[in-house]
Amino acid sequence: MTTSNSTDKKPTAAELHPDAFDVIVIGGGHAGCEAALAAARLGATTLLLTQSIDTIGQMSCNPAIGGIGKSHLVREIDALGGMMARVTDKAGIQFRVLNARKGPAVRATRAQADRVLYRNAARVAIEAQPNLQMFQQSVTDLEVTNDRVTGVVTQMGLTFRAAAVVLTTGTFLGGKIHIGMQRHQGGRAGDAPSNALADRLRALPLNVGRLKTGTPPRIDARSVDFTVMGQQPGDEPRPTMSKFSTPADHPRQVPCYITYTNETTHNIIRGGLDRSPLYSGKIEGTGPRYCPSIEDKVMRFADRNEHQIFVEPEGLDANELYPNGISTSLPFDVQMQFVRSIKGFENAHITRPGYAIEYDYFDPRDLQYSLETKVIEGLYFAGQINGTTGYEEAAAQGLMAGANAALKIAGKGIWCPRRDEAYIGVLVDDLINLGTNEPYRMFTSRAEYRLRLREDNADLRLTQQGYDLGLVSEEQYATFKRERATVDAITAHLKKQHLRPGSDMAAALSAATGEHISKDQSSTDYLKRPKVTAIALQPLLAELDLSEAKEAGVDLDAALTQAGVEIKYEGYIKRQDLEIDRVKRHESIRIPASLDYATIEGLSNELREKLLATKPASLAKAARVPGITPAALSLLMVHAQKHAKNPKKVPGNAATEEQESTSRGEQHQG
Amino acid sequence: MTSPQATTTDSDTIVAVASAPGRGGVGVVRLSGPDAIVVAQKITRLRELPARFANYTKFCDVDGTVLDSGLAIAFPGPASFTGEDVVELQGHGSPIMLDALVRTAIKLGARMARPGEFSERAYLNGKMDLAQAEAVADLINAASEASAKAAVRSLQGDFSRLMNGLSETLVRLRVQVEAAIDFPDEDIELLAAPGITAMLADLIEQVEQIITRTRSGVRLTEGARLVLIGAPNVGKSSVLNRLCGEDRAIVTDIAGTTRDLVREQLQLNGIPVELIDTAGLRDTNDAIEAEGVRRARAAASEADLVLAVYDLADPSSKEFIENWLEEFQTERSVIFPTEIKSNVIVIENKSDLDVDAENKGFPGKQVLTYRVSAKSGANFEELTEQLVELLTGDESGSGIGTREQTYSARSRHLLALDEAATGLVDAQSAITEGHGAELVAEHLRHAQAELGSVCGEITTDALLGEIFSSFCIGK
Repeated sequence: MTTSNSTDKKPTAAELHPDAFDVIVIGGGHAGCEAALAAARLGATTLLLTQSIDTIGQMSCNPAIGGIGKSHLVREIDALGGMMARVTDKAGIQFRVLNARKGPAVRATRAQADRVLYRNAARVAIEAQPNLQMFQQSVTDLEVTNDRVTGVVTQMGLTFRAAAVVLTTGTFLGGKIHIGMQRHQGGRAGDAPSNALADRLRALPLNVGRLKTGTPPRIDARSVDFTVMGQQPGDEPRPTMSKFSTPADHPRQVPCYITYTNETTHNIIRGGLDRSPLYSGKIEGTGPRYCPSIEDKVMRFADRNEHQIFVEPEGLDANELYPNGISTSLPFDVQMQFVRSIKGFENAHITRPGYAIEYDYFDPRDLQYSLETKVIEGLYFAGQINGTTGYEEAAAQGLMAGANAALKIAGKGIWCPRRDEAYIGVLVDDLINLGTNEPYRMFTSRAEYRLRLREDNADLRLTQQGYDLGLVSEEQYATFKRERATVDAITAHLKKQHLRPGSDMAAALSAATGEHISKDQSSTDYLKRPKVTAIALQPLLAELDLSEAKEAGVDLDAALTQAGVEIKYEGYIKRQDLEIDRVKRHESIRIPASLDYATIEGLSNELREKLLATKPASLAKAARVPGITPAALSLLMVHAQKHAKNPKKVPGNAATEEQESTSRGEQHQG
Repeated sequence: MTSPQATTTDSDTIVAVASAPGRGGVGVVRLSGPDAIVVAQKITRLRELPARFANYTKFCDVDGTVLDSGLAIAFPGPASFTGEDVVELQGHGSPIMLDALVRTAIKLGARMARPGEFSERAYLNGKMDLAQAEAVADLINAASEASAKAAVRSLQGDFSRLMNGLSETLVRLRVQVEAAIDFPDEDIELLAAPGITAMLADLIEQVEQIITRTRSGVRLTEGARLVLIGAPNVGKSSVLNRLCGEDRAIVTDIAGTTRDLVREQLQLNGIPVELIDTAGLRDTNDAIEAEGVRRARAAASEADLVLAVYDLADPSSKEFIENWLEEFQTERSVIFPTEIKSNVIVIENKSDLDVDAENKGFPGKQVLTYRVSAKSGANFEELTEQLVELLTGDESGSGIGTREQTYSARSRHLLALDEAATGLVDAQSAITEGHGAELVAEHLRHAQAELGSVCGEITTDALLGEIFSSFCIGK
């Protein structure tokens, strides 16, 4: 690829924007917002280019943030100074803690959000950020010179120069909307797709695939009978999404409702399948297995006579409802009919039909840990363009891409948390190593170190890193340090406390927890019993002076709870530490990209092909190639080291270049 | 790029038998890694292990029971074979003893070395120069290939089927637990459901059964074990004497002379072999003899190679072998149905007598057959050659004589099974004690990883796939 401009409409010098930017972020969705903010926080002069400034922070699918695995990502963004958690607290109209009866590692916060409030809060956050400008224009072309991005061209022929470009174009690339047998091009209901840019990107040497996702029809609340549905109020005490918010930041709270499909609904759906784009082969993209359309659910789980629907308000002042659970691309007349067969929806008026959307995504295996493409220097991808789904997954990648773009410009190395440090690390690692063939969504089961990747300790895992990079403000860092010191003091104190049977303390604790103290034991052993909560051990803190922390505003109950969680998981975490150490060592053994797998005796052909396709950068990456054996890893290690000792043997000295580029990554990898 | 020296300070301490497989006067167990000296101190009960000094000491297991005695020599890194702390324990060459030492080291925190791992570490720690790199790679390759073959041998047929069945059941269980964690809104039955505890109890029983059966498959002897069987008075003991070259067993014409097992250690072309003569297999009323017959059958089922002898002049003795073959085949297929062909040699004895030549072999069965005369020694040279070939195998090390590989592969499987069982039992107690689902899930994940080291890993994506096909998930 050499210098190239759009062919028919060559921009003149007069159409060059006078300001040069460090980082240009294309797209104002959840990935775009966090990317632009992160780059600007790191001091890069940043431009956010969007089709419409009015839809910055738009929630195009269901109006909710968080949930299991996802709230973990949001907490991590929060711990790194991002906006998503705080914006959610300003817009959340119902908050719940999922898995409240399970352990702390898998507890998750979920918030129903008011779309308008969310958009407004996002816009405020963007506008308050120094170093960040917005511009409204559709981008039609990228300027690339010698495989390096130098700027972008907008619809009106205006060229912006930039050292790095972050693409967060969501489902807008080559978007095609299906409702029944009808289809039209669109990036999202009501918005145009970015076809010029899609064509431009398809010309780059990147692997492109098609994915699909869907939405349910929206319903007018005034036409719904809520009295026959189950009500689902928010939780009390009400959680917050951000560590830095309080329930006082929340707007008015409203409940959600639950209703169910029935056999009549299912019969109507079956009757309309001949006009379903999914079942007639009109859709080529792959949909997510965990978010099937209602027609998929009816067909695949034929024995179920009902399916749950969460009826979610779109906002406080909006009458529209989002019936979560009946995403569909059936023809509109079938949608009408089946919706009205559902309890409470008998007279429902559909305000927007449900639809399926197909869009382009780029194989994330073409990306580095920084989310920079391997082929075009300075070009970063984040969000749905990488094959993920979900606002939270998008935002997390946005933050990574924006931060890494700014780091690169500042001449610093790649930064990406490891799998044992953050769900963000799991997300990026999974994407760039394994790719995906369905919209990728986070689940806690994707994280092998799930017990340490918790909502409650996101700051402990990431704030120091974020502060060192420059992503986290002095104020946030100071708060973090105070809280950490408090948790550490409590932990140390609890470890020193011994419980003796028959003592007043033992009697008081037994009475409070219902767990008898029959022999001499440490308070930490006592705390490891499932029924004993950290808060119940409050009396043990009587002799610990926490007045300073209290005055500084540290939430002492939260600190005690966190100390308790760490003690309860202690044994498990230690076992995982051994595993993590091994991975780290393997991480430090780099495999040169020029390593010739064909010459390595003892690798099976199948494995050789897989290694050639993935070109793992380190032994740890190779260990995650499906089908790898310990012996094959040993062989790779020996060959990698041999190669490193004697790179001159390789023609063109490609190995040396590779080592230089990967060693930059090592500085911050961990 | 960091230097190789800096990148390979491995925190694992590894252990393996370092002396050549088979019989030898001295057997060496080698430890390498940061805890090598600590582990060796616990085994030898010595406070100090002075560098490069041959300490004559006892070797104890974790309970303090004395296993053996011998020399313990410490080579502190970096001046050692691997560049790490290394300790060599030199004891008696018995594989059983060496195995006990290795197991003790593992209990004390070491892990079993992968094929070629000592050399690999030596290379990575700069103990070998560039020119030797290829050699190390070849060594790892060769060792892992032989070990892979050995693993395949021990993973054949039913064992593999049992293991895969186990892994599948565990996946189904994990699907329930993981789905309950990741999709709490989808009214998926919770952990307390009796289905989960029943599945778990069933799994634990299955693993324990496989452990028992695998363990009985791992027989350690001084060299390969050859067992002679046959109807009474077909000349087994005479065959034994021919093979041994001396009159050891009592040879008489009275049926049932050999009531107990007669064990003979011998070397066939330098390969250590334990040859066992059994009581004639027949139904008997004599209590002592009945016991002998029971032992004979047991010995045959645990043998590496069975020499099934019949008398050419006695059709009933041939019928006997035919019946026994049927029985043996059925029994073997339970766990390790290695081809009967490489496990049994049929010996037609008394070729010196004038008998019907048509009466040869078992056309329906693929077994090697040799017609010999124990009396004249006819054809014994050929028989011995055949035995040697079976014992040494081809160049790939597939022979019975190189069973150390098979043994260590099975031993790894056993360790993995033990760990998996621990994980399952821990998961069970986590449920009964009322711990959170995430801890149950963690124990199950651990168990699965251990099973995965034997029969292939289950990826997260495969697990998620199972969840999505088992439950209607999604809003």
